[in-house]
Amino acid sequence: MAKAAKKADARPAQTIVVQTGNEVAATAAKHVDYHIMGYYPITPSTEIAETLDAMKAEGEHDIRMIPGDGEHGAAGICFGATSAGGRVFNATSANGLLFAFEQLPVQSGTRFPMVFNIVTRSVSGPLDIRGDHSDIMLAMNTGWIILMASDAQAVYDMNVMAPKIGEEMSIRLPVMVAFDGFFTSHQKRRIEVFEDPKTVQNFLGPFVPTVTSVDPRRPVTIGPYMNDPDLINNKKQQADAMVRSHAVIKKVFAEFEALSGRRYEILDLYRMEDAEAALFIVNSAAETAKEAVDALRKEGKKVGLIRPTVIRPFPVEEIREALSKVKGLVVADRQDNYGAYGGAMTIEIKAAIQGVKGNRTMVASRIYGIGGKEFFVEDGVTMLREAVEIAKTGEVKVPYDYLGANAGETAFVPAMAYAPIPEAAVSGFTRVETGADGKMVVRGVNYRALTAREKRIAPGHGACPGCGIFTNLDTFLKGIEGFVTVLFHTGCGMVVTTGFPYTAHKVTYVHNLFQNGAATMSGITEMFEERKKRGEIPKDEKITFIMVTGDGGHDIGIGPSLGAAARGNRFILIEYDNQGYQNTGSQLSFTVPLGHSTSTSNFGPFQHGKSTHHKDTAQIFNAAHIPYVFTASESIPRDLIRKAVKAQKYAEEGLVFGKLISYCPLAWRTEDQLAWPILQAAVDCCFFPLYEIERGITTINYDPEEKGKRVPVGEWLKTMGKTRHMLRTECKPVLDAFQAEVDRRWARLKEMHKNPLL
Amino acid sequence: MAKGKTAVRLPVKNELGFFEIRMESIGGLGANVAGKILTEAAILGMGLNGAGFASYGSEKKGTPVKAFIRLCETDQLVRVNSPIEEPHVLAIFHEALAKSVPVTSGAVPGKTTVILNTRKSPREARDFLKLEGGKIGVVDAMEIALATRSRVNMVMVGAVARASGFLDMKALEAAVEEAFGKKYAALMKGNLDALRRGHDEVRFEEIKADGKYAPTPFRREEPKLGYANAPIGGAIYSVGNMRFKDLSTSRTGVIPLFVVDKCTHCGECDLSCPDYCFVWEKGTDPKTKKEGMMLLGIDYQFCKGCMRCVEVCKFGALVAAKEADHDVEKITVRQSITTKAKA
Ligand SMILES: Cc1ncc(C[n+]2csc(CCOP(=O)(O)OP(=O)(O)O)c2C)c(N)n1
Ligand code: SF4
Ligand code: SF4
Ligand code: SF4
Repeated sequence: MAKAAKKADARPAQTIVVQTGNEVAATAAKHVDYHIMGYYPITPSTEIAETLDAMKAEGEHDIRMIPGDGEHGAAGICFGATSAGGRVFNATSANGLLFAFEQLPVQSGTRFPMVFNIVTRSVSGPLDIRGDHSDIMLAMNTGWIILMASDAQAVYDMNVMAPKIGEEMSIRLPVMVAFDGFFTSHQKRRIEVFEDPKTVQNFLGPFVPTVTSVDPRRPVTIGPYMNDPDLINNKKQQADAMVRSHAVIKKVFAEFEALSGRRYEILDLYRMEDAEAALFIVNSAAETAKEAVDALRKEGKKVGLIRPTVIRPFPVEEIREALSKVKGLVVADRQDNYGAYGGAMTIEIKAAIQGVKGNRTMVASRIYGIGGKEFFVEDGVTMLREAVEIAKTGEVKVPYDYLGANAGETAFVPAMAYAPIPEAAVSGFTRVETGADGKMVVRGVNYRALTAREKRIAPGHGACPGCGIFTNLDTFLKGIEGFVTVLFHTGCGMVVTTGFPYTAHKVTYVHNLFQNGAATMSGITEMFEERKKRGEIPKDEKITFIMVTGDGGHDIGIGPSLGAAARGNRFILIEYDNQGYQNTGSQLSFTVPLGHSTSTSNFGPFQHGKSTHHKDTAQIFNAAHIPYVFTASESIPRDLIRKAVKAQKYAEEGLVFGKLISYCPLAWRTEDQLAWPILQAAVDCCFFPLYEIERGITTINYDPEEKGKRVPVGEWLKTMGKTRHMLRTECKPVLDAFQAEVDRRWARLKEMHKNPLL
Repeated sequence: MAKGKTAVRLPVKNELGFFEIRMESIGGLGANVAGKILTEAAILGMGLNGAGFASYGSEKKGTPVKAFIRLCETDQLVRVNSPIEEPHVLAIFHEALAKSVPVTSGAVPGKTTVILNTRKSPREARDFLKLEGGKIGVVDAMEIALATRSRVNMVMVGAVARASGFLDMKALEAAVEEAFGKKYAALMKGNLDALRRGHDEVRFEEIKADGKYAPTPFRREEPKLGYANAPIGGAIYSVGNMRFKDLSTSRTGVIPLFVVDKCTHCGECDLSCPDYCFVWEKGTDPKTKKEGMMLLGIDYQFCKGCMRCVEVCKFGALVAAKEADHDVEKITVRQSITTKAKA
């Protein structure tokens, strides 16, 4: 435990701040003055990048902030950046860590130090955003040093120490600093930080590269192809460095104590002097459990607690020493190594005490706090009592168990809300005919009559008032006949419709994470066809498959979507474009236009919103030569429904892609009721032109110029809180550049409209 | 930020040494910021130690949220991380919450001071909340927020400070300045006025636990579906069961009213409503005598009051109205629970 020791005068000055774990991780990064942060947003770690971006907009630091196209990309950015010889920082959680996973051994195996904050969270699926250790424990064997910060003060301190440990010349390994999602990351605490960032920078010294990819006078091959018999020797070097790091960590802890007055040990031993029964537990829950130790000590029980501050390298010696007199030990794991009869720490501890002469410690494993389930002092008491019992009886009655799992009420049957929608209730409204010119003509788009088509989504979802996702989806589905199966990417649309045990979907719904939805849908459609072929499903069964993604899902997940296009998989892919990662709190996506402010492209004196132009997914899919690509806005519902009808038809040939601009009053900072006027302004300024591309032939469906409705982009931008700053004089160059880009893309589109070959 | 001040002693503490505050609110009302201000004031301005946090999830605007502040004396460590169950001060930011959230859970007479944002008197508030008893405070935070051009959260912070008996107004003012100073200097006076008025105008009454209402001990709710009976893999078979939820707490006082006489049954409102509130039925138009879909009205259980439909209706058949002026239960048109099979 970091105790705020009295500050001796010789020590550099520190100030007290009230910050969350995430905020203080950002403060530490600012103090370290990293060259680069490569990142990708994911709850609960996102706030680190957000805080750094907000600081940057105010001119508080100069760290180059690079958004990845996903965590895999972010990790790649970090790898490249470290190879180019600077200090690098990253932060993630849960599936973000897993998506980056493949890069972790690359980083450690090539021996480029960097610091990666892991704000621990439960790994999907089902998707759970709250804190457990199922992510970090999977990263144990990737060759990274792993420091565990049990509270916000430790988050700051370990982030100051981490670069020094990993950069040590005898080590050169990347370092993770892990702390508990929400419990530590989101609690405001009293924290001492150094007043002058120079204190931290002097403590670390300058970054000294060993090799760099940007020194033409010292050319080097980084990352050769290496088989046997060489790799084993390379790995031996790496393993030795990991072992050596144990002493280096101790040394850096001591140096840090001299600097700050705060003392860290490899193991935090709480009331262990004479303990016969103990609890081994990591991070925030360990702090809570200390109260439990105190409570049992008051009863006269000889109990104590062990909390590691480092889990890689695993503190084997210290643990053997700490357990030398302990007879009963409960190891609490906030994750499970399914099938291993214990969580990660249990397995490691059992291994550590193997073969130690005279050791009598009996170990029980308890899995607790999964998916962020709260950990109370009473839970600590329960586990300590079990340890006491083991110590007393010398017997482990239940070696492995879940604490806090609940059987449920056996008699409980969830109420049914709807009968399955009969095909007839959603059929016979709309259809396509072939016109004299061979073009598709859509019939049946009558708003009034279409209110009779049963909605596929039930009311009761938890989106913000005024949210455009649900108007878009329902309006689109008004043009779809018959049975539907939907697949949603992670994002607002998914989160607000499926919080267990509730669902707003009346039709079959599947979720997969937003880096892989299209591939999943490919699997579904292919299996449907195959099972039809084998006679397991009636040959004439018809289902329209619709996949729904946000625009953010088409940063991280565009690869599989283009894969589905190339494979010619027959489904409709809808991208609701609300211009940002709104589910995680409005970070920039690549579709966010130049100058727009988001929580990772803040507006301030030193930064004028997003620094690059918006990505154009409709044109990317056009280049994939799929049968049908369209854009639509709910402000012209007739056009949207008409395109849905066509989409269903074209999806019989291959992939269909549709991009729907989607109102987000929360992130756009607009009034709830103004959806249609604001969306229409986006259309009328030609930022979001409405067009369709049928088998390669482009048609503009609504031409604001022809209608005399064209307005400058400023008319749209002035309607939203996130863009109003663009009309200020200091932002004139940004506004002009944005207008020019919109004009250029519109002019290009008009040429495509005129010429069927374009 | 300021240096820590010399220590203040707490007037009352729980068995772990904390003075605890819980705020029950709705996403968008600023309970999070209120928590931040209280925590900063206590730590930076008064030299206490503590923690401030919130109930976490993917809640969007309009959904219930809780904020927690746990304070202790400067030399004590904050080791517990669990949410606050039996607070010393329980501040309820919105009356409507009582409908869908067990807001008074863990309110203990003699320990907890309950503060409600309301126009009601303390006794009426007690009946409204079905509170066992104890000290109850009322403040018309909405009115004060409007008058000062500030927000409900500032008023509630002032009221919480008063109820605490030790939170220092100077420290709170400094924390408010710290929170809004740089970016929202123009709003500073209003915020400080709201804070002050919340502090001065909250009215308390001590009400005996006379058995009129049952105690509301804190209960850690366990789900009805557990490992013994939940479908494997997390599947949900009760499709569309979100319709059992009541979303009316998302509204902020305004509702759309349906004026049937003006309605042409054009169907545009149905396209504009994100919450699928409009209820239609096949019928005969009394004016044109033609068969067609007829709009019957609005199911207010799902209406979040976004007013998109009012903005869209070209015929004046949807108008904005103050919710307080209408009996929503009466005018609501319930959506049928069974699926509409096409005739
Ligand atoms: C691998 C991985 N990285 C990050 C996340 C966190 N995450 C969930 S939804 C989301 C944003 C989705 O943005 P978008 O697709 O635009 O949908 P929106 O939230 O705007 O509805 C992010 C970043 C995740 N779930 N998994
Ligand atoms: S944040 Fe935006 S997209 Fe997400 S639910 Fe709210 S309004 Fe909808
Ligand atoms: S938009 Fe107005 S006129 Fe049209 S159906 Fe709705 S209420 Fe009636
Ligand atoms: S106010 Fe909003 S939620 Fe309510 S009925 Fe109108 S559009 Fe629907």
